[in-house]
Amino acid sequence: MTRPLVGTGIDRVDGRKKVTGGATYAAEVQVANVTHAVIVGSTIGRGRITAIETRAAEAAPGVLAVLTHHNAPRFPGVTAKAEANDRVVQGLQDDAVLYHDQPIAVVVADTLERAQHAAALVTAEYDAAAAVADVEADLAAAFVAETARGPAQISRGDVAAGLAAAKTRIEATYTTPVETHNPMEPHATIAVWHGADQLTLYDSTQAIFNVRRRLSAMLGLAPENVRVINHFVGGGFGSKGAPWSHVLLAAIAAKATGRAVKLAITRPQAQSLVGHRPKTVQKLELAADARGQLTAIRHDAVSETSRFDQFIESCTAVTRMLYACPSVATVQRLVRLDVPTPTFTRAPGESTGTFALESALDELAQAAGIDPLELRRRNHADRDPETGKPWSSKSLLECYRRVADGVDWARRSPRTRATRDGRWLIGFGCATTTRPSRQLPASARARIGRDGRAIVQAGTQDIGTGTYTIMTQIAGDALALPIGDVRFELGDTALPEAPPSVGSFTAASTGPAVHNACVALRQALIERAIHDPASPLHGLGADAIEAEDGALIARGDRKRRDGYAAIVARSGQPEISVELHTEAHKDRDTYSVSGFGAIAARVRVDEELGEVRLDRLVGAFAAGRILNPKTARSQLIGGMVWGIGQALHEHSVRDPRTARMVTRDLADYHVPVHADVPDLDVVLVPEDDPHVNELGVKGLGELSTPGVAAAIANAIYHATGNRVRDLPITPDKLMSSAPR
Amino acid sequence: MKPFSYVRPADAGAAIQAAAAGGARFLAGGTTLIDLMRLEVMSPTALVDLGRLPLAAIERHGDGLRIGAMARNTDVAHHALVAERYPLLAQALLAGASQQVRNMATVGGNLLQRTRCPYFRDLAVPCNKRAPGSGCSALEGYTRSHAILGTSASCIATHPSDMCVALAALDAVVHTRRAGRERAIPFAELHTLPGDHPEIEHVLEQGELITHVELPPSPFAAHARYVKVRDRAAFAFALVSAAVGLDVADGRIRAARIALGGVATRPWRSVEAEQVLVGQAPGRAVFERAAAAALVDPKPRRDNAFKVALAQRTIVRALELAWGTP
Amino acid sequence: MRATRMPIAVGMVAPSFILHGDARPLASSECRGRPWVLAFARRWTPEADAGPIRAQLRGLGAILFVVSDTGVWSFRPDDDVELSAAPSKRLRAELAELAERFGVDAGDDGVFVIDGDGIVRFAQAPSEQLAQTLADALDAAGRELLGLPPRPGITRRDWAVMSLVAGFGLVLFHGCRPPGPERPAPAPIAANAGSEIDIVLRVNGQDRRLRIDARVSLLDALRERLALTGTRKGCDHGQCGACTVLSDGRAVNACLTLAVAAEGTEITTIEGLARGEQLHPVQAEFITHDAFQCGYCTSGQILSAVALLHEGRAKTDDEVRQQMSGNLCRCGAYPNIIAAIQAARKDVAS
Repeated sequence: MTRPLVGTGIDRVDGRKKVTGGATYAAEVQVANVTHAVIVGSTIGRGRITAIETRAAEAAPGVLAVLTHHNAPRFPGVTAKAEANDRVVQGLQDDAVLYHDQPIAVVVADTLERAQHAAALVTAEYDAAAAVADVEADLAAAFVAETARGPAQISRGDVAAGLAAAKTRIEATYTTPVETHNPMEPHATIAVWHGADQLTLYDSTQAIFNVRRRLSAMLGLAPENVRVINHFVGGGFGSKGAPWSHVLLAAIAAKATGRAVKLAITRPQAQSLVGHRPKTVQKLELAADARGQLTAIRHDAVSETSRFDQFIESCTAVTRMLYACPSVATVQRLVRLDVPTPTFTRAPGESTGTFALESALDELAQAAGIDPLELRRRNHADRDPETGKPWSSKSLLECYRRVADGVDWARRSPRTRATRDGRWLIGFGCATTTRPSRQLPASARARIGRDGRAIVQAGTQDIGTGTYTIMTQIAGDALALPIGDVRFELGDTALPEAPPSVGSFTAASTGPAVHNACVALRQALIERAIHDPASPLHGLGADAIEAEDGALIARGDRKRRDGYAAIVARSGQPEISVELHTEAHKDRDTYSVSGFGAIAARVRVDEELGEVRLDRLVGAFAAGRILNPKTARSQLIGGMVWGIGQALHEHSVRDPRTARMVTRDLADYHVPVHADVPDLDVVLVPEDDPHVNELGVKGLGELSTPGVAAAIANAIYHATGNRVRDLPITPDKLMSSAPR
Repeated sequence: MKPFSYVRPADAGAAIQAAAAGGARFLAGGTTLIDLMRLEVMSPTALVDLGRLPLAAIERHGDGLRIGAMARNTDVAHHALVAERYPLLAQALLAGASQQVRNMATVGGNLLQRTRCPYFRDLAVPCNKRAPGSGCSALEGYTRSHAILGTSASCIATHPSDMCVALAALDAVVHTRRAGRERAIPFAELHTLPGDHPEIEHVLEQGELITHVELPPSPFAAHARYVKVRDRAAFAFALVSAAVGLDVADGRIRAARIALGGVATRPWRSVEAEQVLVGQAPGRAVFERAAAAALVDPKPRRDNAFKVALAQRTIVRALELAWGTP
Repeated sequence: MRATRMPIAVGMVAPSFILHGDARPLASSECRGRPWVLAFARRWTPEADAGPIRAQLRGLGAILFVVSDTGVWSFRPDDDVELSAAPSKRLRAELAELAERFGVDAGDDGVFVIDGDGIVRFAQAPSEQLAQTLADALDAAGRELLGLPPRPGITRRDWAVMSLVAGFGLVLFHGCRPPGPERPAPAPIAANAGSEIDIVLRVNGQDRRLRIDARVSLLDALRERLALTGTRKGCDHGQCGACTVLSDGRAVNACLTLAVAAEGTEITTIEGLARGEQLHPVQAEFITHDAFQCGYCTSGQILSAVALLHEGRAKTDDEVRQQMSGNLCRCGAYPNIIAAIQAARKDVAS
């Protein structure tokens, strides 16, 4: 038998394209006679447009159209929102200004340079109202959200009694800033109309079917008349999950000009037009008995949303399920601000929630005099405390053990400020991470052609996670084909529908769909062979057949063999094809399914200058079966780098007076660079989980971000005695209380 | 970007002639100019491209050094004579920007690098430097990156250059040419304070071409250090930087240089701090006294008060490293 | 030469060096803008032919370094011949490393001619030692550069000097200021605002003619006019490195470069890195080490890495991280990128 592909760290099947420049992202599709569109943004944060001056722009060389709310085609469906995760977009339909940089005009010209310059010639006058930009400026207006990935407000047990009876109790407030996704590829759309009611969009999206559903609804088209294509996506991290205004504007501009239109947003626009992680203010109360067993948790989270749409950063989701504790109360509240709508950002809820919870746990450990890692072990939840269901699998204790080894936790002094190396203070910190595993319905098609090779298709996306590669592996194993004989296709709404590439659920959703479609195709080939008198396998029972290397073989008689190519050839058809829809695994009703992990950090802090360097960052993760250790490790490393950014660098700032974004580019919005990231240690703890799906895979794209910021903050505290509860931990926050 | 006429001159004389008209700008490495033109923060009517002119030589000049205005940051930083005699300059250059920007940016361009104030870069808001008289958005705005020294009621924008901090400490002289006239400008006289006219940043006139920078012989090579504190470990502008040099003989400091970056509206040399050191034996206590003297009447705003202490600590650190304190 | 190492080849960026001699440091950086010759001639001494060679070099403004058993001889146009003798351990080690980086085994000889942009124009590791006469080796260089056979009636030594000079005249002023005849200086231009300019961009070894608005960046010229979309636009302001290309072998931001100002330079984009089906070692190691996820920053990372390895200054992981920090990767592939670069180091002569 050939070696199974799944579980092997093969190189990415699209690797060659990516290292030679051959991968084609949305804005790079060669469309004949394409024109260029540029968005003009508002310069107030709230109010109405009273006048908009477009004559200079219209007169500028090469300009084809200047669209504003005065002349843009009207689409009544634009403001409608069908699902909670849809985002309300702005498409030049009225004079309202809801946030700074909101699109108020679109300029289309024959070249990019001409469109850019003409866009700068558009000016507007406004009737402006005061705009509020900071959740802390309006905390009194906070209201309880409707839902927050589960109930917005829960209370179980008797929290007041649990707090009162405790031996140790801590209370603290943590804040996390606005973060902006900033994928390297700026969002871009090429819109091409074919007649009045057929539209093709080449769009940088994590969710081609979402784009089709939303754009067809907004434009009043039948969904099947909108085709969305997207073979490579330059990162998304949540910001490309729902279509934003620019997608609609590209379609409108193409409609208005009768030309193909390319619209790529600028980096400054990427700070305001495509979502962000909202600021959060989280108050935690923890109480524990003498052994450190938690007796009560209260978690009150407030996050920002826009005035015209609702997004909830579900910080408390993790608090409801992570530790065994009899009394837990959580609430999610929202404050409406004059800002664009926030959205899902890598590990939404968990990354912000664990910073607060895992920092608080560290404070509790300090107060109780218990080793922080040991405190977590003692509060391990053996069943899901929220649902009472058993875990489908959980290897968190093993993860704790592995990170303790990896960072040499045994060397950690129980005291703070205990270890010094020259100018550097050294500290250790740890945290737990978790992410729920979901499986969404998905469809896939598998085809064998006359060459005996397979084409397997699903309308999913590869946003850098390795979807092309793992689906090829899954298909290769299910069809018993070598990797080179399988081509996996994605990124086109003409393919069977698969869910968005969000929420870490592609491997666990589209993976089983691809597997099942391929297994069904193999069965179809077997059925044909055993019923075909011309087949060497004719007359055998289906279960007497096995597949190997592109052929069916009689079990126990390897000489009786029928190649896929031969079976297809005899069928008289160009190919044999199966399309199959897969629903979530039945056991998911019986079990709680989550990935778990642990993070440990060893940091050094130069407290005179406030500088932090990561000595070691170790993560151990258990997420079911690992389809490809190489790409899995890459995703986990990437998630940890996001945690480093969250801990030390990332912070979008709005002007306190105007609500306008101040950090408008990548020089002011700091993401980690090479020099900030040491070699990271990733431990994959294998799990054999029969309950999650046919493949035993949970998904891990976001598992490694939560916990990292807390582990680093906890290590900084251990090094210096300085507890920073407000991210990011920049030099000024460390030197402010440092002794000279 | 607004349309502009493009001139690729045959020689320096033609370049100076082409740039004589108001609105014309020299194009050197382009790392500031093209960036700001794309934002339409700067909109020259004509670009005079210096890229092909022979202004890039780095040569010995007596016991000093002569660096052509078009010498790229990378070439200066790795030049053997710079490494040997002016390590402060090499350190400052290598602490700045990225590999790519250092390969493009020139010495002449870096002298005229413009501020990174986010309000300066955003056409939607007032800025006295960009649109004289429109007001300063930074004063009551987000001021984490802003200056605490040399500020005015019109402008608190920070001068962003690393190279200039080292040149301030190295007594550089900037040589220029314009319409047959050549002049030598001591570094301390090149940049102006914002005052009521933050749009004016230096004493150069329209069409005045920087030809080269001269560095006098330096007694500080043995004890020099550039320390830069920033929000990430590379590719970030300084929160605070300090360029220091010590000339020590017989256990006493004979001469010293201290210059600051990230905290002032122009490259900031502190003669006051240097004087504290002269005649003293090197050591932490005297370094701290010098650091305290360097911050004369700082004017912190809402978000940058930490820079006062950070600047002092950075000076102390740079002096310790320059002197060789472990 | 080790089989695993890609030898220094014509067209590559020459490895840089700093040698700490007893007189003063010798560094390749001081040759920037000038042609130079590096000769490994182990048993050579200047008595034989230093005079005529130096005279010609002086006329050309070229610099010659000769690494011999004695140490390293440097010929500068305006200076005397200097010997930095090699008794010091440091210099001996530096010379050994220099030979290694040029792919010359210990004890072997070789001649490399580098143009004003630091690009290798001639490389030869002779089968026999250069021994008594450097002129013999320079003869080979000169002939090859000229593409001519030796002429009869001229002694071998005279010929070497003449051919070297002629060779320099033909090709070595590539990238020098002012450029020589082989790489003609882009002609002076004065174009009015709004009018278009005819330019020739040299991209991946091909001349591409364009008529463009002066505002067009090199990046947009590549992406929107030449369909070379492998160079990515991430920020358009020099803050992310996705647009990194090589300009005369050096990593630059194409977004901050005007296309018209790039005329006269040799541009290499990601599309020009592989030789047919054979990937550049850095490309291959990026695949092996999974040094990318979404792939959008990858072209820039690879080109920065190629420049870094050829320049040869950054060696330790920390040095490589610093030098690579102008290339952001939002997927966070950084550790794998560093691993890929370090793995490619052995395959890139540097």
